[in-house]
Amino acid sequence: MKPLRVAVGLSLAVLATLALGALNMPAPPDFFLLVVADMARGGAAVPAMLAGLPAGLLQDGLFAPGRLLGLHAFSKILIGYLLATVGARTVVEKPVAVGGLLMGAVLVEAATLTFLIWVLTGDFLPPAPWLLAARAATTGLLGGLLYAASRVPWKQRREARRRVRLN
Amino acid sequence: MAAPTLAERRPEIFLAVLLSLCLVTLSLQVRRPGGRTVGEGWLLTAVSPFVDLVTSVRSGIHEVGTWAMSRRALRVENRALTAEVAALHGELLRLRDAEEDKRRLLELFGAQPSPPPGTIPARLIAVESSGPFHTALLDRGASDGLHLDGVVLARGGLLGRVIALGPRTARVQLLSDSTAAVGVLLTHGTRGGRMAVAKGDGKGSVSVEYVPAIEPVEPNDTLVSSGTDGVYPGGLPVGRVASVRRNKTLFWEIQVSAAADPHGESLVFVLPPVRKSDVTSGSSVAERH
Repeated sequence: MKPLRVAVGLSLAVLATLALGALNMPAPPDFFLLVVADMARGGAAVPAMLAGLPAGLLQDGLFAPGRLLGLHAFSKILIGYLLATVGARTVVEKPVAVGGLLMGAVLVEAATLTFLIWVLTGDFLPPAPWLLAARAATTGLLGGLLYAASRVPWKQRREARRRVRLN
Repeated sequence: MAAPTLAERRPEIFLAVLLSLCLVTLSLQVRRPGGRTVGEGWLLTAVSPFVDLVTSVRSGIHEVGTWAMSRRALRVENRALTAEVAALHGELLRLRDAEEDKRRLLELFGAQPSPPPGTIPARLIAVESSGPFHTALLDRGASDGLHLDGVVLARGGLLGRVIALGPRTARVQLLSDSTAAVGVLLTHGTRGGRMAVAKGDGKGSVSVEYVPAIEPVEPNDTLVSSGTDGVYPGGLPVGRVASVRRNKTLFWEIQVSAAADPHGESLVFVLPPVRKSDVTSGSSVAERH
């Protein structure tokens, strides 16, 4: 089930990124990071890294400037490992904590990308702070909301409503 | 606390492998200003110590081989060069000697850079002037082209004539010999020369006789050969008047300082004998040639 979940998640991430790009949103959330974070839940490092690889490659292929295939793959694999490690050693239950964790992941990924570009090309290109902050905020907010939504017992509520209607 | 096993390290190993693959992929795409990809640069940097090692070993072996081979060749070349240097040194000495001879020759003939045809250079190897007969010995003889009555010149002027010939040597009668005589022109100032005869006194000098006392003669007047004696060509420097004294007769007693000193010369030149046709005209060396 997990590969299918990853494939669906990545497809949605592509669609959402394209849609927000069409809307000229200055700092859209990192939807690919959300897919990786989803796979890292419960401390599963290898599935998280395996999800990070195609997510990063897709991001590179579709959106990365300079067409450096593997740049986001590197960072996404690293982020997947870190999120899984944190998830395995700590109990993150509240959506706010998840949102904060995702914000931190965005910052770490930006630092990783900046470092990689500097090592590979010799150019030190840090992102604009306010853009980075906005991207981290939107990603954390969306991640927290999605996490909160995923914790709602939708089936039980639907069953309860159906039983009320029948009675 | 037990160390984690390999299975427990699986996520880290997986992470390292995936990140390495990404890095390799990235490094193969990024091109540096030199045209190389980053991966190629890293690869070259990584293997450069081995390349340097192999190159050093190879060049070392090559140098040792070259040194061993060239050492022998250098020895042979050194021997050849030593012999060549010795030969060149000898050649240099010979050329220096020839240059000195040339310089003397030019001094002897003045503005005439080349000697008259038939002129033979010779070395004056001995001078005999202890008795009344003053002679000198040359290292050239009949086999070298010398003839009897050949005129012998030194750097300063006339020295004498060949009176005896051997195959390799020749004897020269010097002007200072008591039996030697040469017809001269005695020149006083700008006046034309007066004919006279210079004779050896057998004591190492030359005197002029039979110059009337009415003729103006002073020290430093010059004497050149007149070319009328049938032995010496005209125009050759004989000497200068050293002293003039009037004796009881009607003639001057003139002592001459010879132009050529046989004791100070080592190189002389022997001119061909005077031809009879040249005697009547009294032609000079320059005119003859």
